[in-house]
Amino acid sequence: MDQTNTPLHSQQDDQLADFADQVLKGKMKYPASPPTDTLPGLEETILRLSSSFPPNPLDDAAVKQMHVRLKARIRREEQSAKPSFWKKWFGRDVSPQLGLAFAVLAILVVVVISAPSLTTSGSSTAGTASAPVNIFIAGGLLLMVAIAFWVSRRK
Amino acid sequence: MENTFNPTLPDSTDELLIQNFKDGRKDAFDLLYYRHLPKVYKRVRYVIPENDVEDVTQEIFIAALNSLSSFRGDSKFSTWLRTLTNYKVAEFYRKRSRKQEPPLSPLSDAAAYTTDSAAKTMEERVYLQRALQNLPENYKEIILLRFAEDLQFNEIAELTSQNLEATKSLFRRAIAALRTHLEK
Repeated sequence: MDQTNTPLHSQQDDQLADFADQVLKGKMKYPASPPTDTLPGLEETILRLSSSFPPNPLDDAAVKQMHVRLKARIRREEQSAKPSFWKKWFGRDVSPQLGLAFAVLAILVVVVISAPSLTTSGSSTAGTASAPVNIFIAGGLLLMVAIAFWVSRRK
Repeated sequence: MENTFNPTLPDSTDELLIQNFKDGRKDAFDLLYYRHLPKVYKRVRYVIPENDVEDVTQEIFIAALNSLSSFRGDSKFSTWLRTLTNYKVAEFYRKRSRKQEPPLSPLSDAAAYTTDSAAKTMEERVYLQRALQNLPENYKEIILLRFAEDLQFNEIAELTSQNLEATKSLFRRAIAALRTHLEK
């Protein structure tokens, strides 16, 4: 791609910018540069852009109508929005990050309580036998929570 | 805090309106909406299929309404709204590709228009939208700033922290790239 700016390019930059200004003011309807030049093609592209997208697509009535529809949509969305699980239980919204941290903590508490190897009483032999199972369960639950979190973030 | 919001005051700054909104005057948002809708709508219209323009525009303002309380004023509101617009446009195309909908189709969109000239204009618009979407971000942005937002080249230079010569040069290269895409 051409990145250099020679004096010729600099002159063309000015000419094309002036042409765009004139077109947007509605004062230019045709390419202004001689056909031998490289600019007419670019000027034609500017004319195409300008004519395909009229400058004032919205009048006052359209703006007001859109505003009415926006307000109706906001009202509809507020009415249909169900309170989140966290709001139902705690009376206020909790961020997804805090929810995830809470879930991880709950899983860890369950694992610690149920792992025989971590309790002070009982046989250490039994603990070593069942601990890996608990780790797998905890890992699986953590993975499920992470997937659920990822899916909820994608929506 | 004393409420200074007056909806009939047309020269309230965006900053004052946002402050009023944060102070609980939710109707301050209406004035922001009326003030910025035309530019946002025009920008969206350059890059989104005609049938979805209003929907995407409304989504931008709903997102703005929902996050206005956290607007810190590090940049101008119009700059913040432009960033939000670009994000929502990108989101529109992300969702579209996830649903595996076909890309912009000039004939299907144009078919909804009854007169020949309207259909032709519509078809041309879709070609241009498709070409614009394929441009590098800085090329697309300078074309939108000049055509959709009607900013002068010196204003664009100031906004993008470039000198005027570099801005005009970027504009010429952007138009040349757009032409190349249109010829494909």
